[in-house]
Amino acid sequence: MYKRLLISLGLLAVFSAVALAQQPAPPKTHLKVGDKAPDFELRATDGKKYKLSDFKGQKNVVLAIYVLAFTGG
Amino acid sequence: MSVDSVPANREFAKQIGVTFPILSDFKRTVVKDYGVFNEEQGFGNRATFLIDKEGIIRHIDEGNVAIDPTTVIDACNVLQKKKASQ
Repeated sequence: MYKRLLISLGLLAVFSAVALAQQPAPPKTHLKVGDKAPDFELRATDGKKYKLSDFKGQKNVVLAIYVLAFTGG
Repeated sequence: MSVDSVPANREFAKQIGVTFPILSDFKRTVVKDYGVFNEEQGFGNRATFLIDKEGIIRHIDEGNVAIDPTTVIDACNVLQKKKASQ
């Protein structure tokens, strides 16, 4: 009984490892520190449009990209 | 910034109490330009870019590392100090 359970758990671990290994690695950005940041203009939650180049000479910008709204992390 | 629509992000911001504006890259152009577009899932992978006043990238956090803002805050402080010493 226990042996069967152990074998099942072992197989589960192997399958999980295989599944994890097969997951495509998230794409790594081609951009590097020292590169010029690509310009963009996007609408925000306050209804305004924000253009990266408008901050030139004015402010440092932190661009934080998160996966999806209503998800954790 | 995320690939969600403006109304979705607005509701999300309300739920989690965010007061700063959140950008919507609904057309996925910016996530592609920044090399973080996840083609299979259709969204931008988690990443943080610090861009200085001259438009130059000074720090990049990608993937789960980007959940923790500590490193980018440190990089911001370095930039500020550089500015102060100039």
